[in-house]
Amino acid sequence: MSSIFEVKNLKFKYKNNQENVLKGINFDIKEGEIFGFLGPSGAGKSTTQKVIIKILEDYQGQILYKQKDLKDYKQDFFEDIGVSFEMPIHFSKMTAIENINFFQNLYKKKADVEKLMKRVGLWEDKDKMVAEYSKGMKIRLNIVRALLNSPTMLFLDEPTNGLDPSNAKILKDLIREFKNSGGTVFITSHIMSDIDQLCDRVAFIVNGEIKEIDTPRNLKIRYGQRQVKVEYRDNNKLIEKSFSMENLGNNNEFMEILKAKDIETIHSGETTLEDIFIKVTGVTLDDEQ
Amino acid sequence: MMNNRLIYLIKGELIRLHKYKVTSVSFLIALIWLIVLYFVDGNIFNDLLPLLILVDSTMMSLMYIGSVMFFEKKESTMSSMLVTPARNSELILAKILSNTIHNLLSTALIIIVFVIVKNVEVNYILIFLAIVFSTLYHTTIGLLLSYYQKDFTTMLMTVMMISFLLLIPAVLFSINVLKSDIWEYILLINPIQAANEIISQSFKPINLDWKYYFSFLYLVISGLFIYKFLVLKQFKNYAISISGV
Repeated sequence: MSSIFEVKNLKFKYKNNQENVLKGINFDIKEGEIFGFLGPSGAGKSTTQKVIIKILEDYQGQILYKQKDLKDYKQDFFEDIGVSFEMPIHFSKMTAIENINFFQNLYKKKADVEKLMKRVGLWEDKDKMVAEYSKGMKIRLNIVRALLNSPTMLFLDEPTNGLDPSNAKILKDLIREFKNSGGTVFITSHIMSDIDQLCDRVAFIVNGEIKEIDTPRNLKIRYGQRQVKVEYRDNNKLIEKSFSMENLGNNNEFMEILKAKDIETIHSGETTLEDIFIKVTGVTLDDEQ
Repeated sequence: MMNNRLIYLIKGELIRLHKYKVTSVSFLIALIWLIVLYFVDGNIFNDLLPLLILVDSTMMSLMYIGSVMFFEKKESTMSSMLVTPARNSELILAKILSNTIHNLLSTALIIIVFVIVKNVEVNYILIFLAIVFSTLYHTTIGLLLSYYQKDFTTMLMTVMMISFLLLIPAVLFSINVLKSDIWEYILLINPIQAANEIISQSFKPINLDWKYYFSFLYLVISGLFIYKFLVLKQFKNYAISISGV
């Protein structure tokens, strides 16, 4: 897969800050993948997104989009991308369809709005004022707004934040469908499960620095522990024991327990991405930077 | 020629002015002015009508654009606009031009009613130009002011301050309270006085003097300067700061 974005030694400082918010980060986003930025609040996730979608422009380093310097792109860049910000952003005194039509007519390429709104379950409520929408509906409308120009690349900032599980599932399915149709996705999130379930590759970002980039699977293999946890009764006492999956069939103690003891539960377990994040970065996802 | 996207953005702005009730408020104010002026006679009416048009195209322009900008600030919609193919200049011009069209309509209503009911004599082309350029200038100033105001209340306070510093001297001069000749020259650098000159000289009998041409050029040239070097230049930083993303 070729890279759609290449970010080299990216540094960024807000005007009133003394220190760089981004401290020379390097990463690339491959065409057709879902690439995630996982980090606690204030780590630099949203700033990175704002830089690579050309909202913040006074950066140092180099960003290439489709092998061309991002600084050489004008407004045509926005024909190619779709952006969903963390906060739902709409004109509240206009209906949902008025909002969508207004924004869509600013683009040359146009997606099928009816299909999109039906997909996120908003078509029935398209003529309601956005002010009457619940937070979940506004977030779903945000995604429709991001997709209305059939973008090549989608940027999602904390896409499921504030959504209930069923709405979060609709959104995740939509993101997967976008990827399966050939789209590329950049997600920033502090919600580990989003990244774990959706992303092909993930970058751990803490304090403006990328600490690790790989696929969730490789990270788990590299940093995680694959274990089997057994609970059994011995003289009416509940005992729990963990065994490494390495050469498990040759582990005499484990085999003995299986043969001789009254097993209550037996589970295989992998280290979660969140555990690995803590192990690699030394901070938790709930920390404020 | 205006491009299609700019026309589309202007249309969108006008629709939002209507949806957010700014249009209703401006027509309500125009209606109040109509009623008040209807019962005023003779010379007072002749003095008051140009003043009212002056207030409408200067101070009210500041207020209307201020309210639009604060609605957008409240809803953070500017961030969505920043990631569309629309250029910053188009976004700003759409706001300035829609506010001008909107103001022109409410002012035109007042003028047309008094042309009909009180036989007011006005040169339509000159009054059209006067209202358009006064409103364009003051809307541009209003946009710039809104960059630096925290909320609508502070914007109101600033408009009050401008009224005190710029509008009141212009009004006092036009009703001959400030009589000294020196004021005629001092006030030429006051954009509200410039607007006052081009508005009042649009009423018949028409006798355009050097102050008309100076005021007109002053509004056009300084307006373009403010737009290009202040409003446009600082727009992106402002839009990012209010976008909440």
